[in-house]
Amino acid sequence: MTITIGLPSKGRMKDDASAIFEKAGMKIVAVGNDRSYRGRVEGFDDVEIAYLSASEISREIGNGTVDFGVTGEDLIREGLAEADARVEIAARLGFGHADVVVAVPEIWYDVDTMADLGDVAAEFRTRHGRRLAIATKYWRLTQQHFSGSHGIQLYRIVESLGATEGAPAAGQADIIVDITSTGSTLRANHLKVLSDGVILRSEACLVRARKTEHDGNPMIGRIIEAVRSVL
Amino acid sequence: MPLTDMPDFAGTILQEFVSRSTTRVDTPVIQPAAPFLDMAGEDLRRRIFLTENERGESLCLRPEFTIPVCLRHIETATGTPKRYAYLGEVFRQRREGPQEFYQAGIEDLGDIATAAADARAIADSVAILTRLLPTKPLSVTLGDQSVFEAVVKALGLPAGWQKRLIQAFGNPVQIEQLLRTLATPTPVPGLAPEVSGLLAKGDQNALIAHIDATMQETGYLTNASRTPAEIARRLKEKLELSETRLDGAALLLLREFLSLELPLGDASAALAGFADAAGLKLGQALSLFDQRVAALASTGVDLGQITYRAAFGRPLDYYTGLVFEVAVRGKPAVLAGGGRFDRLLTLLGAESHIPAVGFSLWLDRIDAERSAK
Repeated sequence: MTITIGLPSKGRMKDDASAIFEKAGMKIVAVGNDRSYRGRVEGFDDVEIAYLSASEISREIGNGTVDFGVTGEDLIREGLAEADARVEIAARLGFGHADVVVAVPEIWYDVDTMADLGDVAAEFRTRHGRRLAIATKYWRLTQQHFSGSHGIQLYRIVESLGATEGAPAAGQADIIVDITSTGSTLRANHLKVLSDGVILRSEACLVRARKTEHDGNPMIGRIIEAVRSVL
Repeated sequence: MPLTDMPDFAGTILQEFVSRSTTRVDTPVIQPAAPFLDMAGEDLRRRIFLTENERGESLCLRPEFTIPVCLRHIETATGTPKRYAYLGEVFRQRREGPQEFYQAGIEDLGDIATAAADARAIADSVAILTRLLPTKPLSVTLGDQSVFEAVVKALGLPAGWQKRLIQAFGNPVQIEQLLRTLATPTPVPGLAPEVSGLLAKGDQNALIAHIDATMQETGYLTNASRTPAEIARRLKEKLELSETRLDGAALLLLREFLSLELPLGDASAALAGFADAAGLKLGQALSLFDQRVAALASTGVDLGQITYRAAFGRPLDYYTGLVFEVAVRGKPAVLAGGGRFDRLLTLLGAESHIPAVGFSLWLDRIDAERSAK
């Protein structure tokens, strides 16, 4: 059985992931030319590399079309319902750190916690004739954090596929749920993270699809061990 | 042809509806999604079937009937009172059970005799279920948000705390968290010295001016949803709330109230006794409660099968008073659920206040119960 590992197809995530595999004794070489979307691993004839876009990796692991993938935990938890039942986080790779956070305008001096936000959301409709609007591309994580963990129901998600930090100032939404690594973009847009507003501390992970074919296949354990040994 | 067959007892239900002088309405299966998400909250998003049309508008398969029936009522500008009945398929994503199933129910809009209308909703659902399940003993659980609101008000908590508690009513985890915070208040952290200075001086106008100036500087003002006055007002309120501590006795009273669970026939006396012992004035809420009990008794419903549970509610802001559920005694499946939603029609855009109460029957669960021994 051939084991397929899905890796990010470009950028720093691609370089960092390749570096980890190389350190783990699994040097990746492109099949054909440098721009090819297929790769193989030197000395591992039964392993192949598929270069995919980061968000597709979570979907493909969820489907089980690839056996392993390297992608951010945020994309796994956002992209897959019941993620823990479908995939296993085999190793946290120590790069690609980013937090998914709830951020509100700095000027909202009265809002420091999710409880404050709950108060504001509860009376938002009476005051503004509409629900509190949250710009995000993370609707699943937002919903789990607001509805599940904090009992806040009265808000609407406005889907935002980019430049989310600009949404409150532009009037598209009141607050945002977005990813941040240093917080500098948030500050530049006069937003602050709530004190209990970190939804997820994400980083790049080696993720395995939970497939029954993996049972008893020694290559699965070998790959995980090789990667873990260099972290 | 629908994929799921209409249950064989649908005709019986329709007969029952006709004999209760209702107007049968049907609503399109494909509905705009916004009203459902606006009313029930984003939590609904993962439980409905969403799609988009070419213009990018969100549409969904009808997840329930109350909102479409009310929207239709507003659009057709029909006068009140009006009793609508519906029977049709609804579509919801569920882990267990079918994702499309039938619901039937009555929405009673605009009847200002609320106690009688409440009683009729319960009596109708019990009567219809009794006809469909003649050999099964039914049990009804009843809750009333307005009694809880009266208790919270009578305890003399600041308005902000009342709002928080009422908002969480029906969500035990949330209520517990709030009660714990009320026992041990936490200070307001992290304010800039200038802001806390203005706050401490109580100079509300200067605070508003400061917020306004900062908003101008940061280019926020033009699109800001919350005005400087609103932020300043809530900041002051938050400071007051953070200093509020509910003493042990009052907390015990709230907990004692929330743990009340007893046959409805004994509930009026128990609530009056609770109010007396606690020294709380629950006047109007209790008299409305008593009127409803009396109205129920006169419908001929057996009060012995109804349990009042003080903590029972739905944490949605359009439910205002009565909530109830009917099940076969000792079984978890809710066969009928209903309640009073006096705020829903104005939230949906009705120009005048329209009191409303209704219930809905889960036909797939009733079907399962009919086949069970």
